[in-house]
Amino acid sequence: MTNTVKVIIDDVTYEVPAGANLVDVAKFHADNDIPVFCYHPKMEPVGMCRMCLVEMGNIEKDRATGEVVLDEAGNPKVRMMPKLQTACTQKVTDGLVVRTNTPVVDDARKNVVEFLLTSHPLDCPICDKGGECPLQNLTMQHGPGTTRMDFSDKQHLNKHVPLGDLIFLDEERCIQCARCVRFQEEIVGDKVLGFHERGRKLQIVTESDPGFDTYFSGNTTDICPVGALTTADFRFGARPWELTEVPSIDPWDAAGSNISLSTRLDRDFGGKAMIKRVMPRQNESVNEIWISDKARFGHHFTRSEDRQQSVYVRGAVESTWADGIRATSDILKLAGGDVAAIAGTGLSNEDFYTLHQLLKGLGSNRLGTWIPTHTGADILAQVGVGVGTNLGDLGKGDAILVIASDLEEEVPVWRLRLKRATDRGAYLVVANARHTRMDDFAHEVIRYETGHAVDAIANLNPDLAKELAKANNLIIVAGAEGLSLAGHRALMGACANFLIESGHVGKANNGLLSPLPGANGMGAYYFGFTPEATLDIAQKPPKVLIVAQAEILADDPAASAWLDKVETIISLNLFPDAVSAKAKVVLPIQSFAERDGTFTNGERRVQRFYTAQGPMGDALPAWQIFSRVGEALGQGRAKLSAATVMQEIAKNIPAFEGITYRSLAKVERQFPDVGGNELYYGGTAYQNKGGLGVQLPTSADKGDTVSAFAVESATLPKAGKGQVYVIPSTVLYNRQTAFLPSLMMHPRVLAPYVEVNAKDAEKMGIAQGDVVEIKADGVVVRAKAHVNGGAPQGSIVLPRYLTNDATPMHITVGEISKVK
Amino acid sequence: MSLNIIYREKDVPNIHKLDVYVKHQGYDALKKAIGMKPADVINEVKASNLRGRGGAGFPTGVKWSFIPQNEPVKYVVVNADESESGTFKDRQILENNPHQLIEGAVIAAWAIQATAVYIYLRGEFWDIAHALDKHIEDARKAGFVGQNILNSGWNCEVYTHLGAGAYICGEESALLESLEGKMGQPRVRPPFPAQKGGGLYKEPTVVNNVETLANVPYIIREGADNYKKIGTEQSTGTKIFCVSGDVVKPGNYEFPMGSITFRQLLFEHAGGIPNGRKIKAILPSGGSGPIIPATDEALDIPLTYEGLTKVGTILGSASIIVLDDSRDITWAASKMIKFFKHESCGKCTPCREGTYWLDKVLDRILRGEGRAEDVDLINNVAKNMQGFTLCALGDFAANPVLATIKHFPDDFFGHVKGDKPAVQPAAGD
Amino acid sequence: MANTLLEKHAKAVQHHLSKYPDKRSAVMPLLYIAQEEYGYVTPEGIREVAEICEIDPTQVKSIAGFYTMYSEKPKGKYWLQVCVDLPCALRGAEEFHHELLDHLGIEEGGTTEDGMFTVEHVMCLAACDKAPMLQCNFHFHENLDMDKMKVLLDQWRKEAEDYANKGVKK
Ligand SMILES: Cc1cc2nc3c(=O)[nH]c(=O)nc-3n(C[C@H](O)[C@H](O)[C@H](O)COP(=O)(O)O)c2cc1C
Ligand code: SF4
Ligand code: FES
Repeated sequence: MTNTVKVIIDDVTYEVPAGANLVDVAKFHADNDIPVFCYHPKMEPVGMCRMCLVEMGNIEKDRATGEVVLDEAGNPKVRMMPKLQTACTQKVTDGLVVRTNTPVVDDARKNVVEFLLTSHPLDCPICDKGGECPLQNLTMQHGPGTTRMDFSDKQHLNKHVPLGDLIFLDEERCIQCARCVRFQEEIVGDKVLGFHERGRKLQIVTESDPGFDTYFSGNTTDICPVGALTTADFRFGARPWELTEVPSIDPWDAAGSNISLSTRLDRDFGGKAMIKRVMPRQNESVNEIWISDKARFGHHFTRSEDRQQSVYVRGAVESTWADGIRATSDILKLAGGDVAAIAGTGLSNEDFYTLHQLLKGLGSNRLGTWIPTHTGADILAQVGVGVGTNLGDLGKGDAILVIASDLEEEVPVWRLRLKRATDRGAYLVVANARHTRMDDFAHEVIRYETGHAVDAIANLNPDLAKELAKANNLIIVAGAEGLSLAGHRALMGACANFLIESGHVGKANNGLLSPLPGANGMGAYYFGFTPEATLDIAQKPPKVLIVAQAEILADDPAASAWLDKVETIISLNLFPDAVSAKAKVVLPIQSFAERDGTFTNGERRVQRFYTAQGPMGDALPAWQIFSRVGEALGQGRAKLSAATVMQEIAKNIPAFEGITYRSLAKVERQFPDVGGNELYYGGTAYQNKGGLGVQLPTSADKGDTVSAFAVESATLPKAGKGQVYVIPSTVLYNRQTAFLPSLMMHPRVLAPYVEVNAKDAEKMGIAQGDVVEIKADGVVVRAKAHVNGGAPQGSIVLPRYLTNDATPMHITVGEISKVK
Repeated sequence: MSLNIIYREKDVPNIHKLDVYVKHQGYDALKKAIGMKPADVINEVKASNLRGRGGAGFPTGVKWSFIPQNEPVKYVVVNADESESGTFKDRQILENNPHQLIEGAVIAAWAIQATAVYIYLRGEFWDIAHALDKHIEDARKAGFVGQNILNSGWNCEVYTHLGAGAYICGEESALLESLEGKMGQPRVRPPFPAQKGGGLYKEPTVVNNVETLANVPYIIREGADNYKKIGTEQSTGTKIFCVSGDVVKPGNYEFPMGSITFRQLLFEHAGGIPNGRKIKAILPSGGSGPIIPATDEALDIPLTYEGLTKVGTILGSASIIVLDDSRDITWAASKMIKFFKHESCGKCTPCREGTYWLDKVLDRILRGEGRAEDVDLINNVAKNMQGFTLCALGDFAANPVLATIKHFPDDFFGHVKGDKPAVQPAAGD
Repeated sequence: MANTLLEKHAKAVQHHLSKYPDKRSAVMPLLYIAQEEYGYVTPEGIREVAEICEIDPTQVKSIAGFYTMYSEKPKGKYWLQVCVDLPCALRGAEEFHHELLDHLGIEEGGTTEDGMFTVEHVMCLAACDKAPMLQCNFHFHENLDMDKMKVLLDQWRKEAEDYANKGVKK
């Protein structure tokens, strides 16, 4: 920042960015922790709690000349304000004088803490927040040693108020700082928390249905400066000081949110290290300090008893790893090169690499990704968002286009950060065939006919196109909703071309993004895995197929037709499923929590996750299995650690050149300086000690000329008479195998439903809530009709994974009828 | 001598009716103002030295001049929340001389070139608001309000908005929040209402009290120089004094400022103290201003802004509550604290917690269960509130304790020592 | 879902919406309509107001809770709010309040068994010179004593009876 001003804090002059917040500045530049309760560096100041009172004044300047006025002794004359001022509502200006270490300030702090404690239950010994509680810490530092308030005079309130299924409120502990209310309003935009009553009766309430209805509720428990908000997951689970924090990465989506797994050696898990809770870990470029509730509460699958826990070789009663590896290598040996692999995008870079090497050794390059709904990672590698991109930088003068995606459901953290960008003034255009939540934050909403996303780009209103093109920075998020795989490729190409033509590639905060499914959809590309290969495998089934962490049959109703043609299936999985039931060999693999590795997020940031939890049964990391099979096949010595796999990746995969586990683990001081011991400031988002990761440069970043992509129009199936388009959609909370073990989420998973356009519904005599039957792609599923949703006329929107049966993966045509 | 420039109904019966009002120079000032440049209207009000009657006494013309000229959207908001204990003066204006307020508000709107006027009435003024709506409608039909006012081509609508029972909504920034459909909690300032970002819907906004604006037609019609002849140099014009409590004839009395003392007001006009009792103390500004003992010095001070500062209190909204010598000041303090506790919005810590705590300890003292250190305790708690809160309510709430203990320590220590009979604390929650 | 307020009170709703540049500002006037329609501020009322103002029901509930003139619990047909604030108390309002409660045989804040009267004490109502006083369903009644009060109570009982019998508006 070029624009700086001089401020004097406790007699020392600092040169700091103009217009910054005084509390932030004091902390970052002067190492001066002005205590705060209501202030939070991510939200607008409100000056409520009065904890941050300081003495404030200004160096006097002559009005006419602008010269600093000097006193008799020749020092600048300072005019102090008669009353203490709240530091949190002050922006730094030139000549601002602040005193934080005077008796008056000490007294004010003591008084505010005393006031807060008059209503506080002081039940620290049984409080989840005890040990990392801002109120506790600031009381120790600034509070009075004793109380003058009679304990019997305290008001007694409810201590276990469920705000929803996930978050509990202790009314006595709440200090009315409004951080949670403001978080929901400002940061999320789901205004589902509010105050009720007034004065000392002020209490947090929610009136939403379901209670506290948002995908981000857990974050309120982090920023709550007391133990008033606790999660259903962790309540009374452990004391913070017993926990070991292990850096990790959100396994659910392309955002790659940095998380911290709080573990403890636990009786409930046979004395092994066990995840007690999931906390956010600050990475300003990735997730700032926020995570979705799915990231926070969706970890239970990692130690579900239903996990695949032992090696299984068909025909054998009991098998060891040696048996499994031998059986696998024998099968592969006999395949004569007719081998293919389909790998889920939840696997790590190391897994993909070793699998890729294994098949290469066998002479095959048939590497498919699962689930093959999205494509264009190759395009992202060329014109994806530039190195240094930070959605938190987007603001006035910048533009964002989101197309063919329901970002709230697909990558919630991106949606949260993009909403904030619009608050800062960024221009947001949302284009989709139907209404999505993102529309609520958009300046411009474009509706296109089902399947015609590419046309929407081609036919952009010229003014709007100009507005996007001339933006300082432009990011396009291109999803695949309502598109075939070829359709998504065309859309990615069209979007890329728009970015190239308007000069928005190859620099930070510009370029293309796509909500590729899974945590490592982007990484898969660098190791040669593509969704197109998956379709090819389905077309020409190989003799031997390796299926790794991909529930093909549960996801795709059409898969069994071609899977039956595969002679031998080798299955590596987290959970036994219909594929492993057909497999010759089943090998248990470890989840992200039990092992270390790296994911490449949608912004191409390679990030490390560390071993946190004890392993389930005999499971091993997938890379180790591939590596050992390779050894058995004579492909060289098996790798001993994920780190050594990365060493080889760096050598062999050009995009990863120079990357080591050590470089990925690098950290630096971030602004705002959340975490550390000063949890009062930003809450319990943890300091990043595991590494900020490294972003892989795109071709455009490297200065290569990227030529326009061919945009081949994809054909849409024709909807015949009595038929409708079926648009499969994503919902965050669903019945996927890995999500189901998080029992507390069950009430939030909707019963199977389908969105039907109101006009269509009228014609077909379908009413809101009616049970309907949908026939498409050879499957028949039942769901409840939601008539008030945003389905376009002639189309129905059918969320994936809500029914027990697989539903269509791509847009298709089908029939819908009311069940009599 | 009383002078009714606000309560003109005392001289002109039925002046609440538009035709009567118009017959008696009503809306002449508006005509005159619209013939003037807006800036000149502001200057005239500035020259009159009219000070805000809502309590703070801020010069009205100066406030208007803070409004940026080049903003397209601006508002005038009339503060008719009148909720201070002992205040009932604006109500009488609204009921009996509503057009003078409407006229004053529209002149203010012209002066700052506002697009609309909102009159925020406390919710309990339900019937008054409905009557006011009719008066506004009459004024609209006559061309004083609405589209093309007095054929000037200028449009300005006037709307009423009812609060719903919250004293804090008299505080101007809380009032604006409330008008925007939110809880009435004060905003951080700056930005101030007059500034872009600080007013109604973030637009520059003038907030004035009912009585303040009711002065404006007179100032414009008669000129600032003539207005200034009424009252003193620092306190120009008349002031309405709401007299309540231990007097024979409670009610509203309008006098030129400085023309009258407490003694004259209370004994000559309000009929003195009932039941042959003596006057003990005066609360000159409802529960908010510091109490003063009824000494001769205090009783003989001319009632002006500057005069009351001299005796250690404020004129404020001039809601004078009189306490006779039978009154227990500790009980009175507790009543006031219950008021502030009930009305604290809860946004800031010292006020929210402080009022609650003060109330608890005062109850204990009244019940005769107080401890020797309790008087010091509440004094100290009140001190820790004053000057540390987000809005002035917290400062107000400290006064009933600080000033009462200062002037009437015996009333407190009597309870603590057991010299005074225990009192069941008053109702309140 | 149906929106009774919008259907039954369309004109009043539109009138209030038309007053403000932002729909949210209409939340207070609409809550009065909801309270009138349902007898008190019910969850349906909250939902409907939220829908009309295009805000979250939580935000509406917040408003209903902050302001004392909205009640989220059922009240008697006649909601009597007696001012017992300092100026009124100096003129006998507290005694009057107690007498009234005794007369009706209820506690502060309570409702008579027949559901006719709720009595609550409130803070200053800007009628200090005419104490004791109260508001009944937000209408002022001033310079009261128990004799006058009994006449009023009878009058209201009769009014309610007439209303029940003939549908005469109260
Ligand atoms: C707690 C509190 C309550 C207030 N109540 C009122 C009120 O009821 N009526 C009023 O006119 N001003 C009230 N005020 C003063 C207003 O904030 C504001 O200063 C006034 O409306 C400005 O108008 P004026 O300049 O015409 O006096 C109150 C202030 C505070 C701090
Ligand atoms: S002083 Fe009282 S009323 Fe004012 S903001 Fe603080 S809590 Fe609210
Ligand atoms: S008032 Fe500044 S941190 Fe709360």
